[in-house]
Amino acid sequence: MSILEIIGGILILIGSAFLFLGALGIFRMPDVYNRLQAGTKATTLGGMSLVLGVGFLEPSWMLKSLIIIIFIAYSNPISSHALARAMYRRGHYPLIKDKDKEKMDAYREVVPHKTKEEEKS
Amino acid sequence: MKKIIVIILLGTLGFYTAHTFFDIGFGFPHFEHGIKDVYLQKTVSDLKVSNTVTSIVVNFRGFDTLGEVTVLFLAVTALGGILYKRRHEVGERSVLFSASSIVTSGSKLLFPAIILLGVYVFIHGHLSPGGGFQGGTIIATGFLLMLLTYENYSVNHTVLSLVESLAGIAFAGIGLLGFMHGGTFLQNFIEPGVLNNLFSGGVIPIIYIMVGFKVGAELTGVIYTVLHEKG
Repeated sequence: MSILEIIGGILILIGSAFLFLGALGIFRMPDVYNRLQAGTKATTLGGMSLVLGVGFLEPSWMLKSLIIIIFIAYSNPISSHALARAMYRRGHYPLIKDKDKEKMDAYREVVPHKTKEEEKS
Repeated sequence: MKKIIVIILLGTLGFYTAHTFFDIGFGFPHFEHGIKDVYLQKTVSDLKVSNTVTSIVVNFRGFDTLGEVTVLFLAVTALGGILYKRRHEVGERSVLFSASSIVTSGSKLLFPAIILLGVYVFIHGHLSPGGGFQGGTIIATGFLLMLLTYENYSVNHTVLSLVESLAGIAFAGIGLLGFMHGGTFLQNFIEPGVLNNLFSGGVIPIIYIMVGFKVGAELTGVIYTVLHEKG
């Protein structure tokens, strides 16, 4: 067993662990934004180290796996940003305690959203 | 008198149709070990294609694929016919907001990458999984991204229908060329070449590239029509 295979195996193990934690987070977290964060952050790191580990196991695929890593790093944040923004516009606001409300929901000023009357109807 | 002639003609026609069908002999094996072995052997030895699914879809059952493409074309035309009037009455799209600047600038780089992936998938249809239908669908998702991101992004319907028609004509034309060279419709008349090369498999990659163009243009048209319908 060469050193490259050991590094690849460890990376794949780390990646699988992060993917599992991401799935657990989507199941466990309370509202949309927390779930999105768990799903995005964990799968970004998990997917990247998984693909990098495959690149270490098969050195001829290293260039391809680097390109895939760039693609994941590029597209995953954009898609989760678009999802979160769309959810905010649809009127799904974060679950916040009352005393922190003004501070944490300051984003409401920036983005156009549904008013209270539209929410009720 | 007229009715009697019609009945006699129908009877003759029915008799000969039934006669032809009785000659076929259903239930008897035409190949010794079933048809799957013939497909699997001929794909590698005769056609020099690595992907058996592609060789079955495009070569052994090429006529069936021509029918599928025609069904897709008819469905797209019918959808356009149903939604056309309402679109002109309203004149606006159902996605009212444009996306944020992050998505806008990000999709500028993602769009060429998606188109490149789609083209790769349908050019390598005879070597790797995928093919014309899959590659065309990937190209249509690229256009869907642009349509969702930019508020006033529009596709040229004349170009779309031109690409679609030319690809369809090319598919049927390659089939007719088979008559001149080999004797049957959609005959594989070009030399197959070497296994696992990009230029191998005779007419299979050419037909799949045409299918890719056609499916991509049609699905882009469908997405554009549905997005601009007032929901």
